[in-house]
Amino acid sequence: MDENKFSHNRNRYDRPDFPYRCGRGVLWLKPCHQGPTLKGTCGGTTECSPYLEGDRWTCNRPLIAGGPCEEGPTPDGKCCKQHPPCVPRHNLKTYRRRLAILTVGLIFALIWISWMADQLQPNYFSFDPGPVSSSHIKLAEKDGCQICHESHQGNASNWLKAAVTPADISWKCGDCHVFKGPVSLAHNGDIKKHPQLQDTHCLMCHREHKGEGFSTRTFTSGQCNFCHKTQFKSFSSGHPQFSSDYPHIKKDSINFNHVTHLEKHFLEPKHSKKAPKSCTGCHQLTKEETMGSGKFEVICAECHKPQIISKDLVLIRLPELDKNRIDRKTILKACGIQSKDKGVSKEDEEFLSISTDTPSLTTAYLLNIQEDDPEGYSQKLQDLILSMAQDSVMPIAKLINSHSPTPIADKMLAGLNPEVIKRAACAWGLNLEYDPPAKASFGGWHADLLEVRYTPVDHEDPVALSWIKFALSVVPSGEPDEMKRKRAIAMRDQMLSIKKGVGGCAKCHVVNETVLEGGNKVPYIHWGYKESKSLSYSRYSHTSHLDVQGKGSTCETCHVLNKDAKNKPALDKPGSKDKPAPLAFTSNFHAMTRQTCMECHTQGKVRQDCQLCHLYHLEPGFRGKMLLADDVAETLLQQLTTQEPPAIN
Amino acid sequence: MAKIWTIWISSSLVLLSLMVWTSQAELKFGFPTLVTGWFLFAVLFALSLFNIRKKLTILPLANSSSWLNVHLPVGFLTVGMFWLHTGVPWPLGLYEKFLTFLFYMTILTGIFGLIIQRSFPRRLTQSGAEYIFERIPLEIVEVHTKAKDLLLTCTQETKRDTLATQFLDHLDWYFQQPRFFLDHVLGGKKGETWVHQQCSNIETVLNPQERTYLQKLLALAHIKKNIDLHFALQAVLKWWILFHLPLAAALMTLAVWHLLVVYVYFL
Repeated sequence: MDENKFSHNRNRYDRPDFPYRCGRGVLWLKPCHQGPTLKGTCGGTTECSPYLEGDRWTCNRPLIAGGPCEEGPTPDGKCCKQHPPCVPRHNLKTYRRRLAILTVGLIFALIWISWMADQLQPNYFSFDPGPVSSSHIKLAEKDGCQICHESHQGNASNWLKAAVTPADISWKCGDCHVFKGPVSLAHNGDIKKHPQLQDTHCLMCHREHKGEGFSTRTFTSGQCNFCHKTQFKSFSSGHPQFSSDYPHIKKDSINFNHVTHLEKHFLEPKHSKKAPKSCTGCHQLTKEETMGSGKFEVICAECHKPQIISKDLVLIRLPELDKNRIDRKTILKACGIQSKDKGVSKEDEEFLSISTDTPSLTTAYLLNIQEDDPEGYSQKLQDLILSMAQDSVMPIAKLINSHSPTPIADKMLAGLNPEVIKRAACAWGLNLEYDPPAKASFGGWHADLLEVRYTPVDHEDPVALSWIKFALSVVPSGEPDEMKRKRAIAMRDQMLSIKKGVGGCAKCHVVNETVLEGGNKVPYIHWGYKESKSLSYSRYSHTSHLDVQGKGSTCETCHVLNKDAKNKPALDKPGSKDKPAPLAFTSNFHAMTRQTCMECHTQGKVRQDCQLCHLYHLEPGFRGKMLLADDVAETLLQQLTTQEPPAIN
Repeated sequence: MAKIWTIWISSSLVLLSLMVWTSQAELKFGFPTLVTGWFLFAVLFALSLFNIRKKLTILPLANSSSWLNVHLPVGFLTVGMFWLHTGVPWPLGLYEKFLTFLFYMTILTGIFGLIIQRSFPRRLTQSGAEYIFERIPLEIVEVHTKAKDLLLTCTQETKRDTLATQFLDHLDWYFQQPRFFLDHVLGGKKGETWVHQQCSNIETVLNPQERTYLQKLLALAHIKKNIDLHFALQAVLKWWILFHLPLAAALMTLAVWHLLVVYVYFL
């Protein structure tokens, strides 16, 4: 290598920071030694700048360019070596700086263009960080970003102001979503929380703009341990045992003794043909989670309908009377009977009551009479019989309506034939038994010998139902007449009796007690069949578990019959041994245990994270105003009915 | 070297600590993205200061090599922090995609710069020559002039123009300006082979005196090859920043906008 290569006599002083470089060098020609000027013009049009020495112009070409030339400057002091000018180019640094400024400018331009374009397209935002979840996409399309982000509204200055103003998006969720408990409390419940725990808000768990199928952050079981006192690793490792009555914690709406049915009735020859072959003979999957029972008409009626129609209501019974208090002429006139007609007793005959019974409890309540005191009730009862002979059903209707704040006799006496009542009253008024023309084979109202009865026609008989409702409603807590109150209770208890009540409804329909104002408890009947609900914060999918142990695997895998369970829910009469304790309940099945679930839900087998079975929110729902929005309601309805529930993260 | 390792280990520890903290914050239903976002922005800003440091040579802000030693591990740290912040390698929103694209491109150009800064200087030293990038045009002109002078002398002394004709027809193209740029960057020898091929084609028709000049011409071609190599490698060393710096500037600009959008809409 030439050691003098970089000698100052052979090299010009390089200026890397100089903004221009020689245009000749760019074209791979010999660059001039002067280089470009600071303004970017060619500095090499001459090889030197002669200077005046005395009266002569002297060449000052530097040594790197060959030193002073032989020709020397021209007489007018110009360099004799003239060259055409080059076009200097910017150096690399300048390009780099310009490129950086250009890209930054481009970013600003893109932001500005996007911003302006957004003004032309309502409900669109270029700086949207990603699609919102499918549950919210329609809302966002309809109402725009401001449905959640209030800062999206207004002009640019408001927009910038929002940057320094705290934005609480969580409370906007409450515009549409509601829960059974407070939104800002953990699990929406009145859960005692540790003083160090923070308040909850929606964005702690929920995320948006993460795609159509994503609205909740990824959960781990460890996050539950952050708040919960009982901490454990997984379901199979440390999860508390289920309660001793899980999952049959609540009393069902229908009393059905699985033990007696499966172990006794279904095995009897006379019933075995009607009996279902398996659990699914009565229970069908109604929703994702629950196995519901079939309708009464389908699964119960064949055996139990005859029991319903065999239990009558006795509206009026002719009791033992102490003496005849009915004016003979009046009743004969009312009934259109001549005194000499066959069967009519003589007026001067000694009165001997044809009945030795007591009045029905219904009559006793309606007339407010002591049913074991013939002297006490005879007058009132015979007055009623006489008025029935005169006006047929009207006196009974008036009597019923007088015990109700609203007229209800039309429902309770629906189908009652006035002719039958009149004839029965006439017979009883003359101290005779009423002889019906034919047996009442098809149910309904009928009179027979000494009684006016009602036989239920079918399950859900409206007349029987109205009488039971009447009996339940006429037990006033503040009734001053203690005897009247006792009669009302006696009538009610008879109505609810499995053996003597009309239709025997309480045999299957659960009677619960309801606490009214003042602490008084009144019975309440669960008329409709209620599907069992999962416990709060829990869920269980029967769909996922059917045939889980192979095709045809039975329900008994989890639901093991408890043959020792006592389940006698009947209500006979107060104080009897089989009066149901309304809230006490013993299931026909053994409680399910954690070990049963752990056969599958354990390490290395099936999922066992908390979110598989437990829910965070308490009965989530939507506000009505949201559902009123047609298109949104339609979308939600479609999601609820057609889509699979979202996977648990 | 120990100092560099210390920086690398420190960066890794910072990233590890952030990861642990983030997972803990996730357990507590916190917002670790806010912290990781600010941290990432601060680190990116600190990295961008390297360019400013190079301009402010008069300030006692440690030398550039120290800055570079910090720049590299911290640059890698940002990749981990970016994924920690976003949670996904590729976001869904249009502008976030663009922001991510800028980040990845900045990182990729940075990695490219790291690779060439570690390998090219060694190759330049191995060439045995030393050329200042700004003077390479002059070097090429000088070699070209020497080659033409050599051929003029050859023609005058041997009274034959075979070599000169061959030069004008083929080799002059090679001496005019840097050639085989990409081949030199990739470490190939296409230029050398090409020159040897041109010379071997004519060598058989040259007399011994001309062959002497041919050998001198080959020596000049070798010098030219080294100049080309220096030009190619130094050019890449200087030009890669043309991509890295504007991308980094665009990234920082959009990151500021991202911060603004987050504060307006979320916080």
